[in-house]
Amino acid sequence: MRALVIDDSRTMRSIVSRTLQPLGFETVEAEHGRAALDVLEGGPLPDLACIDWNMPVMDGLTFVTEVRANPAWRSMTLMMVTTESEHGQIVRALAAGAHEYLIKPFTADAIRDKLDLLGLLPVGEPA
Amino acid sequence: MSVIAGDDVHAIAEEVFAAMVDGEPGTVVPWDGPAPTWAQPLVAWVDLHGAWSGRACLATELPTAHALARALLTLPADEEVGEADLVDAFGEMANVVGGNIKSLLPVAGTLGLPQVAPEAPAAPGSRVVTEVALAWHGRPLVLTVLTVPGAP
Repeated sequence: MRALVIDDSRTMRSIVSRTLQPLGFETVEAEHGRAALDVLEGGPLPDLACIDWNMPVMDGLTFVTEVRANPAWRSMTLMMVTTESEHGQIVRALAAGAHEYLIKPFTADAIRDKLDLLGLLPVGEPA
Repeated sequence: MSVIAGDDVHAIAEEVFAAMVDGEPGTVVPWDGPAPTWAQPLVAWVDLHGAWSGRACLATELPTAHALARALLTLPADEEVGEADLVDAFGEMANVVGGNIKSLLPVAGTLGLPQVAPEAPAAPGSRVVTEVALAWHGRPLVLTVLTVPGAP
């Protein structure tokens, strides 16, 4: 499986990627929503996008809205990975089309649990 | 009454370091000693905007910031950390801490992007809400939350 990791922090992209890779994901990274849309336009479509909220150029919520407006990208699972933990923000992200929401800081187990809920854990990977 | 207690800030720091840096709890404890001073200070901060406006700052000594960046990026202990990686890693720590502090506030708001410098810029009219000195593997760190009245 393939995951697109979108965060303006290289450190956080590295943390998310090295959590996903042992779970069987090939990862590609983008530093903001606009760069991530460029990745999608270049194809192939990832199975999962992990999306920060607060980023320069294009924030995560705008990215989610853009993705959901394109039927060709509908099969991609969208998971917000962000420090934005207020209930209202979570509702906004889910209403825009995000499938799951993970609050930073997170543990590897928390990501694994979310992927299990989303049916994205490879067969044989303990939940 | 302050909406952000020192114990809350300590708990946030413990959670952030356990999840992001060390992979286990208990690596951040209250600093036991005189108030830390820095020969080579480095400060990372994020501004909080909204009905409650203020700033969350993480300050430490430059070598400690390097050690933190190495831990976050899983670099060997003897590997040099570049300036860009140092700023990014230390800034992201402040970003995650600041985001969790924002969640303690009774009103919604927005979080600015993290900044890193030898000292944070002056914030006229600011007031310290909470300041917590902590030790990460024996190295001092100070977390400060300020209110900045009238900030945009």
